[in-house]
Amino acid sequence: MNVDLELVQRVQQGDKKAFDVLILKYQQRIVHVITGFVHDPVEALDVAQEAFIKAYRAIPNFRGDSAFYTWLYRIAINTAKNYLTARARRPPAMDVDALDATNYYDAPELKEFETPESNLISNELEQTIQQAIQDLPEDTATAIRLREFEGMSYEEIAQVMDCPIGTVRSRIFRAREAIEKQIYNTMSEEE
Amino acid sequence: MTANQNELLSALVDGELKGEELQQALQLLSTNDIARVQFQRHQLISDALHGHVTKSRTVDLTQRIADALLDEPALALPTKDKASVIPFPTQFWKQASGLALAASVGALAVIGVMNQSQNQLTPTNVNALASVESIPTAAPVRVAQAGDRWTVGEPEVEDRLNTYLVNHNEYAGASNVFSYARVVSYDAGQ
Repeated sequence: MNVDLELVQRVQQGDKKAFDVLILKYQQRIVHVITGFVHDPVEALDVAQEAFIKAYRAIPNFRGDSAFYTWLYRIAINTAKNYLTARARRPPAMDVDALDATNYYDAPELKEFETPESNLISNELEQTIQQAIQDLPEDTATAIRLREFEGMSYEEIAQVMDCPIGTVRSRIFRAREAIEKQIYNTMSEEE
Repeated sequence: MTANQNELLSALVDGELKGEELQQALQLLSTNDIARVQFQRHQLISDALHGHVTKSRTVDLTQRIADALLDEPALALPTKDKASVIPFPTQFWKQASGLALAASVGALAVIGVMNQSQNQLTPTNVNALASVESIPTAAPVRVAQAGDRWTVGEPEVEDRLNTYLVNHNEYAGASNVFSYARVVSYDAGQ
């Protein structure tokens, strides 16, 4: 079974810790999405928190018709739009429903934006990671590339690289470890 | 934390765990803070490679959300048994059984009346058939009329039928269950 679905089912059965794992897994992406709409990063965190709380309350209705992230993404977008609408003192008559969300895309204050600072940090981080991948042994670099850039499953990578799934798993893990080291070395140098 | 546990968390980021290993990883995350930090680091790299990072790199909303949800009751899906069974009130069953009894008695009475009528009609039919042979133009109308309707010419039969119908109407009207069944009558003249 899909890991997300397994986690969702656990939450539905009353396991709050399982929801913690879903937050850990998706918080970065959700904050990133919301930052695209809400200018202030502190406000973005508040909105992300609200989105996750809404998701928790709505999770009994999640039936797995779509991927969990797709569902969460829609909640996050709608929460951000509601927040902006409320902040602009033009509160909607009712909460923006997920189905109505597309109607709000044309509003100029709801456009996504990127600040030079956020671009710089993103670019810097990406460069560090790219450099770290280049420095990896060939097999390890190929495994992480196939996983992260091609979106292949471990099984598919094992077929492509003609090796056991366990080897793929450990190569990807070693790649992440090396990248982490590189990132934190770079961060330490900057500080 | 061991290298194996760390590798398990890396595989969890990729959604590649199932069964026992998945349980193990989830257990680790719920009990070990270092494991949580490690999982976040693996996740951050994956997010960064997909361009999902923000200015505040080390986002951790888990504690804030956990605090906000502290007073929320733990979720529990409703069991199907409770949701699908809608109990009828006891009064309903009493009324339904009374009505069923009345309907059965009514049906028996109607069958009895019909049998009696057919027996009474037999000579009439024979006479009618005889008339058909002798007067072909008028006889078919009379035969059809006689065959389609109950013959309640007998005062005894009419009294019994009226009693059943009155009882039926009164019961149906008083029970509030089948109020539409109140209007039941017959016209002996037709």
